[in-house]
Amino acid sequence: MELEKALYHYFQFTSFRQGQKEVVESILRGQNTLAMLPTGTGKSLCYQLPGYLLEGKVLIVSPLLSLMQDQVEQMKSMGEKRVIAINSFLSPAEKRKALSNLSSYKFIFVSPEMLGVDIILNKLREMTIALFVVDEAHCISQWGYDFRPDYLKIGEVREKLGAPLTIALTATATKEVREDIVKYLQFRSWEEFVFSVDRPEISIGIEILGHKEKQQKTLELVQKIKGPGIIYFSSKKLAESMAAKLRDQGERVMAYHGGLDTESRTLIQQQFIHNQLDIVCATSAFGMGINKDNVRFILHYHMPLQLEAYLQEIGRAGRDGKESIAILFYSPGDEQLSLQLTEGELPEKEQIHHLFMLIQQQNLKLENIHLESERFIPACGFSETQWRVVESFLASMQNENVQEVRDQLLNYVTKRIRLKQQKVYRVLDYIQHSGCKREYILDYFDDQGSSAKKNCCSSCGLALEDFYGSKAEEMEPNLRYNWKKDLASMLIKQVGDLHEKRPIS
Amino acid sequence: MTISFKEAVFLYCMKQIQNERSIYSLYHLFQGKKSSQTIQDAHLFRLDPFFQSYPQITREEMDHIIGVLHVNGYLHSISSEYYYLTEKGEKIVQSQNLISLPPKYLQGWKYHQITSVFWERLSLLVQVYSNLIYQNKGFIPIHNKPENLAWIKNYIKMQTGKRFELANDLYTELINCFQQDENIDPAVLTLRLTGHNKIGLTEGQAAEQLQMDSFHYHLEFLNILHYMIYISTNQYSKFPLLSGIIGNKPQTVPLTLSTEKTLRLLEKGFNTNEIARIRKLKESTIEDHIVEIALQVNDFDLRKYVSFEMEQRILTVTRETSAKKLSQIREKVPEANYFEIRLVLARNGGRPWN
Ligand SMILES: [Zn+2]
Repeated sequence: MELEKALYHYFQFTSFRQGQKEVVESILRGQNTLAMLPTGTGKSLCYQLPGYLLEGKVLIVSPLLSLMQDQVEQMKSMGEKRVIAINSFLSPAEKRKALSNLSSYKFIFVSPEMLGVDIILNKLREMTIALFVVDEAHCISQWGYDFRPDYLKIGEVREKLGAPLTIALTATATKEVREDIVKYLQFRSWEEFVFSVDRPEISIGIEILGHKEKQQKTLELVQKIKGPGIIYFSSKKLAESMAAKLRDQGERVMAYHGGLDTESRTLIQQQFIHNQLDIVCATSAFGMGINKDNVRFILHYHMPLQLEAYLQEIGRAGRDGKESIAILFYSPGDEQLSLQLTEGELPEKEQIHHLFMLIQQQNLKLENIHLESERFIPACGFSETQWRVVESFLASMQNENVQEVRDQLLNYVTKRIRLKQQKVYRVLDYIQHSGCKREYILDYFDDQGSSAKKNCCSSCGLALEDFYGSKAEEMEPNLRYNWKKDLASMLIKQVGDLHEKRPIS
Repeated sequence: MTISFKEAVFLYCMKQIQNERSIYSLYHLFQGKKSSQTIQDAHLFRLDPFFQSYPQITREEMDHIIGVLHVNGYLHSISSEYYYLTEKGEKIVQSQNLISLPPKYLQGWKYHQITSVFWERLSLLVQVYSNLIYQNKGFIPIHNKPENLAWIKNYIKMQTGKRFELANDLYTELINCFQQDENIDPAVLTLRLTGHNKIGLTEGQAAEQLQMDSFHYHLEFLNILHYMIYISTNQYSKFPLLSGIIGNKPQTVPLTLSTEKTLRLLEKGFNTNEIARIRKLKESTIEDHIVEIALQVNDFDLRKYVSFEMEQRILTVTRETSAKKLSQIREKVPEANYFEIRLVLARNGGRPWN
């Protein structure tokens, strides 16, 4: 069967994007596959298409609940009903129901901690796993920017499942990280596809400026540059206040961060996708799993914490292949904030000591700690990120000795902080690098395929004016809101109304 | 200096509780804490409409609001947690724009269990129907709790009419519902709805669009939801789709878990003292439970705890002197204990609870 035919049949696409075909073919040849595909190139198709063509289940391990939920929603919205996510979002009753019907699903998403649950693992062992997918596979490496100790177990789980055909996917992995992935997944033979992380359609600008100028510069830039765009901040507060200022300037903009309720978050994401918003002032919480083709600019108001995250974030621009720009503002001393944030992501010594004191006092078993998160998070004052680190670390441990585990965790945290700080300095080095920015990034990922072009980066020469756009066309007449009309336009099908643009007021 | 709408609402509530409760009783009220004390206070001071009407409130915010009211001379402090209204404060509460408090249909206590479910299902329903008639399959549900999605699947399956007509029927029901009270502004709700080619606004965006104070908008939004629940459940034959959203979700308020346990023991014939021992709780806690039961369970017999005669005397005193403070009542009926007074107030305190 011709692959293109299948592609059209299942996805209504007429051609593959870069890299997809090679990866799919490798899997269909029965080869374990490690694929590094840049963000926005349709990673998920690499397992979904072979999934359809192979007999049996597709089991997808994914690290982030929100990401998992997004993917499930997306597949469902494409009409795939046989898809389910097993994670801690499910209530016990839902979990039971899902497990008893598990065989009726084709695509099963599961979080790493759920793989540690015996009932689930046993259920999975009864089934034929045609394809085992490790998404965000860089999480398996401690060199990766988002190491999750519980990912280490995946190799073992894979063995228990009879070492099924496996694909490991990642968007950003240095050579070291890729070696770790192969090692921990215990591949004996495999094919590796590393596609260039270069996105020639994205121009890269770095601007070094004084602290006081940043805000003014942002306001000016946004006025001139063509949207839609995302502005990344390291703080919720700044994201909010900048959004307010831009709104005063007449922009259609909202702030997006983890402090918002779920409803607002979904609405803002969807408004952005549906072009009801031109700009989102976001923290790094925004963008994961967002499918929007026409993002024209990414602005970093603060420096990102690692080049890996930077690459992911700027990769959200230009998915339609059209010219886009990523700009990073840096003021001398910004790295101090980054270093602080890095530490804040990891649990503090005092918190760890307190947690283990509680564990000992109450004589709890380490393997049950994750069931008590609601109690421990407030008791030790963990943030969600901090708790995730603790949880993931404990899940990776088999040691029963509480004292030893505590010391190992303390040790681990110290090491992580050091590694993360190195990454911050690497970003700083990148910012200050006087040569080509693109080459620097490619170098970092041991990637050769650089493509010199016009407007490459601020070192090679960049004409910002090329990215300016006119706003006049976007302005819509400010009609008075009429609720009855609005309701009617939602619920009553008007003939010929399909393509008529309705003012959203 | 004018005060914000939110501050005005809290000032109104401060007036209701006089200086008989600490400011944190209001914090618990808005947050919707299901303790016997909060529930009884809500009814005693007729603040039950506000129950759980602002669950996001923090202690810090509470302190801040009271601080602002205090500094600006609307409140006079007795101690750090007790305040009463100054003349200036009284004036504000009696002024024109606060006469409408609480919002006409707001029923926080009565509907707190179904409010968000109603909203999530209604907005999903509109989104799904809207996309259905435009044959648009690829959309992301605006509320993605699995239980809501399962519910909507089922709900649509159960409808017998044609799909196009269903959207039409929903439209008609909504229009009819909104038109029963012309003081209701449907825009408060419709701006938030998502359709096939329009994503709804967030709470903040809707407030801005309507040029309303954000807290005012917040309460008005709850008000219109409660209005819709009220209208559709009372005339369910006229609003089959809307009342169907609520379905057979419990509308009556259950007891708090601990009170439920006490009730079960009471039914087995144990007395207060025995239950306190069995449950390893203070007797006063068990009495709190019994007051809550008196409040919730209409046919719960009070005679075991307070005689008919005593009840009448307490009631007469409350009516004649409009005394609400327990100590004031006790002064007039010295032979009654606090427990008896609270029981009587709970049973007869204000409007019918449910
Ligand atoms: Zn360059």
